Amino acid sequence: MTDMALTITNLWVRDRQGNALVKGVSLAVPRNGVLTLIGETGSGKSLIAQAVFGLLSPELAASGTITIAGHRPIEAGNPRALARLWREQIMLIPQEPSLALDPTMKVRRQMALAGLADAAINPALSAFDLPASTGQSFPFALSGGMAQRVLIATALGVGAPVIIADEPTKGLDTDRVTQTIDALRQLAGAGRTLLVITHERRVAEELPGELAIIRDGAIIERGESVHILEAPESDYARIWLDADPRHWPRCHRCCDMERLTLSAHGLSFGWPQQPPLFENLDLHLPKGGVLAVSGPSGSGKSTLGDILLGLRRPRMGSVEWGGIDIVASSAAIRPLRQRYQKLHQDPIKAFLPHLALMRQFKALEAVKPGLSVARDLPPLLDRLRVKPSLLNRLPGEISGGEAQRLALARILLLDPFAIIADEPTSRLDPVVQRETMLLLRELVDENGLGLVLISHDLALLRSLADETIDLSDHRPRSPAQLKGATASTTLS
Amino acid sequence: MTMLLEARPTRSRLPGAIWPLAALAAFAASGPFLAPYDPDAQDLLRVMEAPSWHHLLGTDHVGRDVLSRVLAGAPQSLGLAALCVALAASIGVMLGLSAANGGRFTRAAIMRLADLMLAFPGLLLAMLFAGFLGGGIWPMLIGLKLALWPQYARMAEAVATGVLREGHVEAARLAGFPERVILLRHVLPAVLRAILPLATFGVGQAIMSISALGFLGLGLKPPTPEWGATINELLPFLSEGFVQMAAPCLLIFVSVLLLTLAGRALATQTTGLNHD
Amino acid sequence: MTTIARIILSRIGQALATAAMLATLCFAFVHALPGDLSLRVAAARVGDERVTSETAERIRREEGLDRPLIVQYGQWMGNLARGDLGRSLLSGKPVTAELAYHTKFTLQLGLIGWLLSYVLALPLGIWAGMRPGGAVDRATEALAVTLASLPAFLVGIGLITLFALTLRWLPPAGFRTFAHMVLPAFTLALSLVAFSIPVIRNAVVEARSAFFMTYARVKGLSPVSALRHHGLRNAAIPVVTFAALQFAFVIDGFVVIETLFNYPGLGELLVKALVARDVPVIMGAGLVIGFAFALVSLLADLARLWLDPRELAEARA
Repeated sequence: MTDMALTITNLWVRDRQGNALVKGVSLAVPRNGVLTLIGETGSGKSLIAQAVFGLLSPELAASGTITIAGHRPIEAGNPRALARLWREQIMLIPQEPSLALDPTMKVRRQMALAGLADAAINPALSAFDLPASTGQSFPFALSGGMAQRVLIATALGVGAPVIIADEPTKGLDTDRVTQTIDALRQLAGAGRTLLVITHERRVAEELPGELAIIRDGAIIERGESVHILEAPESDYARIWLDADPRHWPRCHRCCDMERLTLSAHGLSFGWPQQPPLFENLDLHLPKGGVLAVSGPSGSGKSTLGDILLGLRRPRMGSVEWGGIDIVASSAAIRPLRQRYQKLHQDPIKAFLPHLALMRQFKALEAVKPGLSVARDLPPLLDRLRVKPSLLNRLPGEISGGEAQRLALARILLLDPFAIIADEPTSRLDPVVQRETMLLLRELVDENGLGLVLISHDLALLRSLADETIDLSDHRPRSPAQLKGATASTTLS
Repeated sequence: MTMLLEARPTRSRLPGAIWPLAALAAFAASGPFLAPYDPDAQDLLRVMEAPSWHHLLGTDHVGRDVLSRVLAGAPQSLGLAALCVALAASIGVMLGLSAANGGRFTRAAIMRLADLMLAFPGLLLAMLFAGFLGGGIWPMLIGLKLALWPQYARMAEAVATGVLREGHVEAARLAGFPERVILLRHVLPAVLRAILPLATFGVGQAIMSISALGFLGLGLKPPTPEWGATINELLPFLSEGFVQMAAPCLLIFVSVLLLTLAGRALATQTTGLNHD
Repeated sequence: MTTIARIILSRIGQALATAAMLATLCFAFVHALPGDLSLRVAAARVGDERVTSETAERIRREEGLDRPLIVQYGQWMGNLARGDLGRSLLSGKPVTAELAYHTKFTLQLGLIGWLLSYVLALPLGIWAGMRPGGAVDRATEALAVTLASLPAFLVGIGLITLFALTLRWLPPAGFRTFAHMVLPAFTLALSLVAFSIPVIRNAVVEARSAFFMTYARVKGLSPVSALRHHGLRNAAIPVVTFAALQFAFVIDGFVVIETLFNYPGLGELLVKALVARDVPVIMGAGLVIGFAFALVSLLADLARLWLDPRELAEARA
């Protein structure tokens, strides 16, 4: 234990009512080593980082000791003593990078205030793929990933031997996650001791060193990363790690290409006075087929969904609902309106906030002739594994997973031909996400629906979809490049 | 209208703010009937009398009973303010909803007009109306309404625009509900929830504006027992009749204070609801 | 800097437009009134009892009231462009001279009252914001709510009763000495404080609880230098913006206060003119007030642009 750079011993965090949120956690990170702490939302993993820095909210009380190599152990309940370690011994890469930067000050000056020498700032920025102009920018001009790397560069620059990164990949696109993980590896390469707190399996996989899994405030498993990821010992760790989309059972089905429920030809779209987001896009969705649409944020994924739903007009091209062009004649939409539905990103917001769910379902009878909610809903809820008693509540009183299944029930009551699901599980925990997604796929199979799945999560799309369209392949390019580009990439 | 009733929260607790509002309304409605004397009856032998059992708040400079006068003035001071805000809020909500729901041109026209109106100092506008049109109820009402509607229009427009972008509106459209239902069931309740605290607070501000106009001699004219006008009449006799002066002053203060507190309570309640 | 220039130009344009609208509105009101304008003018000049049809006829000719409306409007606007606002119907003096005389007093009172309000509000607001939920915070909140529920003339009457009539420390009304300024300035300040205390308090709370303040400490800044480098500017943005805007809202307050204290400012002039229907003076006062209002909002905008780079970036876009 002598060569441990950071040791946390028997750390407890309790709220005012005395409920333990972190239950006797002991962790040690070896000098120049990396420890990844992984756990789901609410497992108490971020509280550990806050406790080490003495930054817990005043409502929470901590006990236990924090030891930095070469210093006497410090009581976790003594934030003043812990504050003396800041910058000299430990440094934080915080969860919300944009909130950590003063919005009214240029990045360069903020790095200088952290003690980086003027000449060191540009090299520090370029070491993390940031142009020198970043220094002259105000924080609001930076993307989330850039702000994150500014903070990583600052953390390296101040020279503290121990660095704690709290959810460094939260809210970042897939390729930005890669960039952040690279930057963290660079920190480890520069001889820093690293404690990384995350909920993403990918981070654990791509960082060297040790892994600890936390659940309900207690460490349930720890050891070499590679070993745990290969063969987790506890059941929870296995279920939870399997919730990663790349470990779902793969889908290989044959689709009925003869009976297209939704198709589009030569679609292009752009905001007024701006270059097109995508051009010349073709897509075909057969009954029982799953078509995935991916692309970085801002590439027009959701807009494409709206175009397919007839909510927005494309610049060019056609959208066909069962062979009827809805762009050419908007009158064609009306009789088919209810048959093309959308599953929203935030399921709770898809319901009226101040009206009991049952009444919202009842109201559907007014727009769907022949529908009897009393007759048709109970079997559906049974199939979706939702307790009927939930319907007496307000949308704010149920969980995200429950709300998404109820939203699905509402859509299924309308006998849809196709469902456009726009990031339907991005706000759900991994285990719930897996459950919801597999259910969605079963329903597609059972009812012969078409499903368009929009997501930035490539792993999720690959595990579910028959075909994937990457919108970044449809960005306008020079004519020469355009010739070589394929219209869509078929995965199998 | 049943749609509106449906949209109420199911576990509606009666907000605590309702009691001061009910008390004020009751006071405004019953004030004139509680008056022990005719508020306009002069008695030049009993001017500026100190409070006594006959005249609980004393008499004014022409011997009228001050208690009767402030009671009789309640409907004017409180009722007019409420009426004024109710009218301004309805106009504002209607225009705000049209702006949120209409095309780009309608929205620009309405919101620019609101901005322009907000560029005028509110009381000045009411003063100009009242001054030019010679005082009285209507010029003042029109003036205050003109000054007040833009803030409600802005709020209604902002809330409606936000709600129209929400998932539940899109879900309702896709399910085939007509626009009328969406407006009544999805948008209007949210707008009213946001407007209510603002309007409650606004009634307090309107009471101050009306009494200020009365005080300047530009609002309701004496012998109307409106509180501001009463204060204006009593001002020269301030050193002789402290109680007489304190009565309308306190009434204005307490009414505005109650409305301000009620508005704050409503505001925290609605934002609290929005959080969950 | 072209952005700034463009904003200034457009805001000056807006100010002129506002003033012109106000003037047109006044003109429209005057002529939309039922009854004979010249009779009303005559009544204002010689008194209700002594008005005869001859005096009315003479005024109609003298003031050009018999010409078509559009001609009168055109001429009035033309004169306005040359800086000629006509003569007061009441005193016969040029309106510009009247306005200049009274504006000086109002500016004096407004500036002193406004400054005084921040001398009071800044320490209280900051103190309250340092410990949100503490005793000082609750006390200042109660004070602010109370003051916000008191119309300016009630505050004034209270101060007069206490300091002029009971304690006899200060004169109740008038304008000859500096002592005359004390009560009106305090009245104005107290009615402004009601709204500025919560703004200052919230700005302080917000800036203190911002995560970049904590992070500044983590990256090695002392509490004092974190406050100096990051806290002050961020807290100042809402306060400065509000303070500038509030100077514009002084306008709503000073009319009442000047009338109460018999102080010869623009507000008192306006009220007297309104009561007497002295049209040229009303229009002139309206113009000055509208223009001042717009000018101050311009200053507020500039202050915000100067303090907050986000605003500047937005203005550029």
